[in-house]
Amino acid sequence: MAPPGGQGGGAVSTRGAGARRMKWALELSLGNARGRGDRQSNQGDVMYPIGYSDKSVPDTSIQETDKNLVEKRCWDVALGPLKQIPMNLFIMYMSGNTISIFPIMMVCMMAWRPIQALMSMSATFKLLENSNQQWLQGLAYSVGNLLGSALAIYKCQSMGLLPTHSSDWLAFIEPPQRMEIMGGGMVL
Amino acid sequence: MYPPSLVVTFTKKSSVKMAKLTSLFVILLSFFCISEAVFEDQVGKFDWRQQYVGKTLFAHFESNTQSSKKMFVATDKNIFASFNSRTGDLLWRHVDKTGPEGTIDILLLHGQDALMVVGDGRLLRSWDTNIGGLNWEVVLDTGSFQAACFVAIQDTVKLVAVLKKAAISLHYLSNGHQKWVENLPDSDAVQYQAVYSGGEEEVYVLGVVPNSHLTIIAYSLEDGEIIKQRSVEASWLSSVESSCVVVGQGVLMCVDPATLALYTLPIQAEETPEFSQILLQVLYLSPTVSPGFQPVLVSSQPHPARSPLSEFFLQLGPDHHVLLQLNADGYTIAPLRDFQPAFLVSFATTGKKTVAAVMTPKNETVSRHRVVSFINYTAVSKPRWLSPLPFPLQACAINLFSVDSGRRLLDTTVLFPLEPNGGKPHMLYVHAFLKKDDSVGYRVLVQTQDHALTFIQQPGRVVWTREEALADVVTMEMVDLPLTGTQAELEGEFGKKAGKEHGLFPMVLKRLSSQVTLLQAWLAHLWKLFYEARKPRSQVKNEVTIETLSRDEFNLQKMMVMVTASGKLFGIDSKSGSILWKHYLENVQPNAAFKLIVQRTTAHFPHPPQCTLLIKDKDTGLATLHVFNPIFGRKSHIALPALPRPILQSLLLPVIDQDYAKVLLLVDDQYKVTAFPSTKNVLQQLQEMASSIFFYLIRSEHGNLSGFRLRKDLSTERIWEVVLPTEVQKIVAVKGKRPNEHVHSQGRVMGDRSVLYKYLNPNLLAVVTESTDAHPERAFVGVFLVDGVTGRIIHEAVQRKARGPVHFVHSENWVVYEYWNTKSRRNEFSVLELFEGTELYNSTVFSSLDRPHLPQVLQQTYIFPSPITTMEATLTEKGITSRHLLVGLPSGAILSLPKMFLDPRRPEVVTEHSREENLIPYAPEMPIRTEWFINYNQTVARVKGIYTAPSGLESTCLVVAYGLDIYQTRVYPSKQFDVLKDDYDYVLISSVLFALFFATMISKRLAQVKLLNRAWR
Repeated sequence: MAPPGGQGGGAVSTRGAGARRMKWALELSLGNARGRGDRQSNQGDVMYPIGYSDKSVPDTSIQETDKNLVEKRCWDVALGPLKQIPMNLFIMYMSGNTISIFPIMMVCMMAWRPIQALMSMSATFKLLENSNQQWLQGLAYSVGNLLGSALAIYKCQSMGLLPTHSSDWLAFIEPPQRMEIMGGGMVL
Repeated sequence: MYPPSLVVTFTKKSSVKMAKLTSLFVILLSFFCISEAVFEDQVGKFDWRQQYVGKTLFAHFESNTQSSKKMFVATDKNIFASFNSRTGDLLWRHVDKTGPEGTIDILLLHGQDALMVVGDGRLLRSWDTNIGGLNWEVVLDTGSFQAACFVAIQDTVKLVAVLKKAAISLHYLSNGHQKWVENLPDSDAVQYQAVYSGGEEEVYVLGVVPNSHLTIIAYSLEDGEIIKQRSVEASWLSSVESSCVVVGQGVLMCVDPATLALYTLPIQAEETPEFSQILLQVLYLSPTVSPGFQPVLVSSQPHPARSPLSEFFLQLGPDHHVLLQLNADGYTIAPLRDFQPAFLVSFATTGKKTVAAVMTPKNETVSRHRVVSFINYTAVSKPRWLSPLPFPLQACAINLFSVDSGRRLLDTTVLFPLEPNGGKPHMLYVHAFLKKDDSVGYRVLVQTQDHALTFIQQPGRVVWTREEALADVVTMEMVDLPLTGTQAELEGEFGKKAGKEHGLFPMVLKRLSSQVTLLQAWLAHLWKLFYEARKPRSQVKNEVTIETLSRDEFNLQKMMVMVTASGKLFGIDSKSGSILWKHYLENVQPNAAFKLIVQRTTAHFPHPPQCTLLIKDKDTGLATLHVFNPIFGRKSHIALPALPRPILQSLLLPVIDQDYAKVLLLVDDQYKVTAFPSTKNVLQQLQEMASSIFFYLIRSEHGNLSGFRLRKDLSTERIWEVVLPTEVQKIVAVKGKRPNEHVHSQGRVMGDRSVLYKYLNPNLLAVVTESTDAHPERAFVGVFLVDGVTGRIIHEAVQRKARGPVHFVHSENWVVYEYWNTKSRRNEFSVLELFEGTELYNSTVFSSLDRPHLPQVLQQTYIFPSPITTMEATLTEKGITSRHLLVGLPSGAILSLPKMFLDPRRPEVVTEHSREENLIPYAPEMPIRTEWFINYNQTVARVKGIYTAPSGLESTCLVVAYGLDIYQTRVYPSKQFDVLKDDYDYVLISSVLFALFFATMISKRLAQVKLLNRAWR
């Protein structure tokens, strides 16, 4: 993304690029307006002092609306995860609590997406760099993702996939050690 | 061996199809228990059955031709059976009731008919010997059986006479109808003991008034009228049965041990003569009579229509027989031949010739061939602990003698090899026949004291041997097989002592040599594979011998050590059922109690495994120990403890001595303890642990349960006692838990995912009592759960209006018992389960002394549609696999009943939670499904016990059912989850894999070529 106020430089550079594109050119037709213009500008380069631009300075009011757009866009990005939550809730409700391949896939997706988003947090922050409310947006973004993963965990819980009950740890209980040795029987 | 067609092949499909028709319940079941039955092609793959008959009492051969193949035996197990005399296989077998009701009193054979008196004169039966079918059966009048014989009318045998205590009856051979029955005169005073018929018009009954006189009564065959009756003075005679025989033309020959004389008396004589006495001195025999030996007479009556032979044997000592001949005058006796030493004698008749077979000891080598094979055996297999034992090689020779002259017949010697650890010969049954050249040939069946039957034919070839002692297995254990010799060699190389004693260079050499041995073994294996691949499959027999024994990959093959009531021990390979070793313990009383203990397993390599058999003589109470190696059956030469006092019980401790043998404690009648082995190390360990060693004793006759604690000086103190009054109930049985049982899961998961912890008390005892009052209204069965350390009664369940016999299994946290409900007249199963609750009191250690809370007890009862004879639970290595109950039914089937059906938490109303838990809704009736029979049509007659052992595979449990027959199989209670299926298609899978591999290679190559071409374009 171009830095603000860099439009002029951009124009110069394009012109330069245009000049660079042709190593040389043979002007045979004088009636070519574009060619004339080129020459004029060439002449202009010579005529105008350094730093003169024949284009008008860009309007700063337009700059202002652009800024708002960016801000809006950034908020969009930040609130994206939060907006997904109702959708996720609906999917959760629809998929039910039975353990079969589709609900499992959905839960996996639901759990994986926020985690992925949280892991690529730095890239998102770069996106939000232009915004004034960068930190607030970042917070909203991460809260949204955390909520999404909380939802996924809740779904896992309601499907019984979380080892939260004592029965889930039953297999790890060692048999108790025997303190007494005992034997005997009926008299032979 | 196995019949070609089989019925039991159920598939999942069919069971589901059935389920559609029936209720939801059945649907549920079919989900839980998909078919467990074997498929037809699996028959005999990992199971085998051996059928036995028991100790032979009577044996007869079919007919006196060389080609006859049948022989008939009647045994002490109330079995009448027929063998194929060429192979020793059973042709048919009739198993009668156990106990005195089915006792076979006598077996007589004539032509195609086998006559049998059963149950102390209760029934007279006639069998068709060809097919083993019953011709007829008649009920005889009451009275105890004395004797029976065939009666001939005009040279044809038409009748059979049965003598009872107070009556004699004649029956037609053709249909069993009674011709006549007569009461015997004066039967209170006179003991009638013998009946004789020599083809005349009369039948004679001989009775005796002990030490007074002999009574002879002659009955007319026609109408049973008494023709003659006379008594003869015989003050020396106490029993006709034991000391008299009939020889020659109806001459009664008796022997009197007191005066050392023979007495003769013509039975048919009109007048009343006295016994004529012939002193043995006259025959130059008297000085040779063994002191204290009751002389025995042996005679022979080849055909019932003719009179007996005039030659007879007189046995004067355990190894002294004399062949005598009664001269034609009927009064004088001529000795024909003196046989000393001679163990056994027997007469045999073929055609008109009668011969006598005599068995004499022969202290030479058995035969050259046998000796050579013996030497080979010791040379080939020389595991280090095996020292070649110098067996006292001994054999017996059997010879035929002409009866008329007493001359030995040429070329009739047969050698009977005596097993080094076998019993002595006990009975001799001879099958004589005429050869084509009119000489007499014979085969002989020898019964030894260990109930083994050996069939020998000329010239001394053992045709078959049947180990009939296995019909009465008392107890058994399964022992892991050792590693192979090469494996053991390697183990030994890296053993604990190896490194210290040798330097580097010898170690390298040793390593190289063991590698060479491994290579050799591998090459030999390859060669064997190649060699066997050329043979047709039917000929390839995996001969199992002691040398080739080694543990297989999954430890599925084990050594079954079986102890039989006769005192003979067997080592049987569990895979093939072949007997690998046998050892006869000679001086074991018939009613002795046995306890078999595995002291050291095969896991401690340089030390051989060790089993100890505790044998207690019931009469004296004294016990002896027999210590042996369970793999080779050889007696270990270990110093045995002196046991001067009667032993009450034994107790195997998990404590091991420096040689890795577990310590066995023997408790004597003064409650003093003897340790075996009792080295210093062991005694020291015992002193340290004494306060935590407890034992309990139950005296059923006093209704007394008592617990003891060991003191440091190996004496004991009584710490608790429970008395159940014997006038009300008596203790029938007690069972603790099996020491090798593992419980994987400490609790059960509920529907709401909480845990109900099991009450796993290793010291818990289940004591079963039965009421002394047998009245159906008042009879009861009691089950007490007692802690064996503290004597605390954890639970008591009393089943009113119930009667035994109670069969029960105690395992994990449950007890399952079966009884007869006298009110509803049906068999019922009841299950008790114990739970600690939702919290564990102490999850790290279990001490019976610190258990303040009683467990929760749940109980449920079900109706079982069949009586049962025995019950056992499956056992697996880690206890992860679900449990099944193996139930032996009287029909001979063994039912594998999932424990899931015996669960006291089965709900009456199905809820979501119970469904979550996979609980089957409660139904009072317990189903018996035919696909649950693990032995399909291989029924095990009279199942007495079922032994289960874990294998190396968690899914697999080895099962041995024993009774009259022995059946071995494997069961998979949770199906084979850890092995590939039997019919897994290796070929298909590997061919697909290879095809894919090659396809990848080829396509890779093609792709490379294509890329190259494109690059050039």
